[in-house]
Amino acid sequence: MHDHNHECSCKDHGQTNPLVPTMVKVQKIVDETSDVKTFYVVGENGIPFKVMPGQLAMVSHVAIGEGMFSVSWQDDDHLQFAIKRVGLLTDALHEIEVGQTLGVRGPYGNGFPVEECKGKDMLFIGGGIGLAPLRSFIKYCFKHREDYGKIQIIYGARSYDDLCFKRELFEEWPQVPNCEVYTTIDNAEDQWAGNVGFCPAYLEEINPSPQGRIAVTCGPPIMIKFVLQALEKMGYTDEQVITTLEMRMKCGIGKCGRCNIGSEYICLDGPVFNLAQLKKLPPEW
Amino acid sequence: MKVLPLDKLREALNIMANDAEVYVPMLRDDISGYFQWADNPADELALDLLNTYLSPKNVVIPQTEPMYKFKTSKQDVEITEVQVREGARIIFGIKACDLKALENLDMAFLTMGFEDEYYKARRQDLTIIAQACYKPGPACFCEGMGADRINPAADVLIHELENQDYAWEAKTSRGEELTAKIAALMEERDVTLPQAEPQSRKVDMTGVSEKLAEMFEHPVWDDLSSRCMNCGICTYVCPSCYCFDIQVSNRGEAGNRFRCWDSCMYREYTMMAGGHNPRDYKKERYRNRFLHKLQFFNERYGANLCTGCGRCVILCPNGVNIIEVIEKVKEVKLDA
Ligand code: SF4
Ligand code: SF4
Ligand code: FES
Repeated sequence: MHDHNHECSCKDHGQTNPLVPTMVKVQKIVDETSDVKTFYVVGENGIPFKVMPGQLAMVSHVAIGEGMFSVSWQDDDHLQFAIKRVGLLTDALHEIEVGQTLGVRGPYGNGFPVEECKGKDMLFIGGGIGLAPLRSFIKYCFKHREDYGKIQIIYGARSYDDLCFKRELFEEWPQVPNCEVYTTIDNAEDQWAGNVGFCPAYLEEINPSPQGRIAVTCGPPIMIKFVLQALEKMGYTDEQVITTLEMRMKCGIGKCGRCNIGSEYICLDGPVFNLAQLKKLPPEW
Repeated sequence: MKVLPLDKLREALNIMANDAEVYVPMLRDDISGYFQWADNPADELALDLLNTYLSPKNVVIPQTEPMYKFKTSKQDVEITEVQVREGARIIFGIKACDLKALENLDMAFLTMGFEDEYYKARRQDLTIIAQACYKPGPACFCEGMGADRINPAADVLIHELENQDYAWEAKTSRGEELTAKIAALMEERDVTLPQAEPQSRKVDMTGVSEKLAEMFEHPVWDDLSSRCMNCGICTYVCPSCYCFDIQVSNRGEAGNRFRCWDSCMYREYTMMAGGHNPRDYKKERYRNRFLHKLQFFNERYGANLCTGCGRCVILCPNGVNIIEVIEKVKEVKLDA
């Protein structure tokens, strides 16, 4: 399990109080689906802080509330958050326009084990908005293409509209050398020529061998459950399977108490766990 | 030994309050707790009370704490951090159980990756005047939780003598400094310290934490939690419960973000946007509270998150009793 000797990382934040946000401006908003938008935010001096793939940040619409989101990508000068509309805060975020000031604080959490995965073939399995955290790792692999082997991405959503990052998915990523992108939607649609069916079944059909490969999956809990079963059937060991957990979060720094599963805090020790680690946690996820 | 006569106590507190916030067990509006001393005639000292209804945790984690203020205009937002007033603070008359809880809070807020700035600001110049506890109450079990109730580690240790004067021992240089300020009020006397009365509630925590690690799915939680109504009283009065919420208060174009005590007993505590809740039922919340106290905190920080102060035992409206929980856990037979 995780060792608990975290180095204090407050110093890297450029902010002295880890609970007070830095102000950023929304530079660009992309409509991904009818209920997902990606927000590009930039601080006064460029990127507010650096993150590793899979890490989290607290985004605040200051007068309304704040919520924890995975950073779906960072470029040299900005952070990106793909945010699905599910409640009060995200409703408000979906109403804002370019130029709006937001607050961000972070980064929080452990992030994906990008170093340990070097030299491996990578299999990404995402469902719905679950592609957002995976995307940070996928794009990291592309940026460091020579460090990783073959890359396969299996991505499913309820409908064509619900597929996020369509341009990357259909135009950019398939052009990356030694990369395969598989998309699927739950029910047949007129304009859709691709696969129809759920992610776990599609995964079994494609059947990438566990040999030298790491599988990373994010999505709705029910999808994760069946993906984990499928991977196990296909011969993946618990150490070869990585996923992220979600809990309600307020502080992000292991203090406010609510994001625990057993004695682990998802905001600090997670959100990324391999299956071997997950199986040691109480079954509350 | 130095002795502070009871009739000099108010004066001593006034001197201390000249350059520090002094928190003293008092009755205020019929509630007992550690409130800031201002020599208000209405403030009734409650040094004998075992234990004050409210614990002294408010000295380091106020029930609500503003974090930053903001102003919005159209798309723009400006924020101003609220600084905790730095400077000296004193807790007067804290008992061993609550002092041990303060150690728990230190672990939670100052270790494991991040330091909590608000906590640190209140904690860094805090002088502890502890009161030796010779007559434990019927719900006290601090010894079972490892507290030394006669000789807790503090800057100053006071002992209530038979005539209610206080024998006064400075234990650290910080304690010496404070003592020097009120030296004129003290007398040097030969004193006989009281006999310690035994604590009637015995608790033996040997192996409990490890056993609980095997009991997450045990049916005993259904039974134990059935009486709880998730009112949260136990968490509010507990000196070592520290979980907090962060909320916003908003009036037109200005407002502030603040944090406040929260309770793991409430459904909203873990309710996610979109409605999913990993601890949707009271059994799950109840179990998490007791496991946090008796197992999880141990695994993470190496200590129990209960110090045996007995408040929840006395104040739970439905008779939930952590001592009985510990006993029930020990009675459970686990299949090998
Ligand atoms: S005080 Fe008693 S009834 Fe209320 S939440 Fe605590 S254990 Fe449950
Ligand atoms: S759990 Fe109960 S007995 Fe233990 S420290 Fe908290 S209030 Fe006191
Ligand atoms: S969000 Fe506060 S402890 Fe994890």
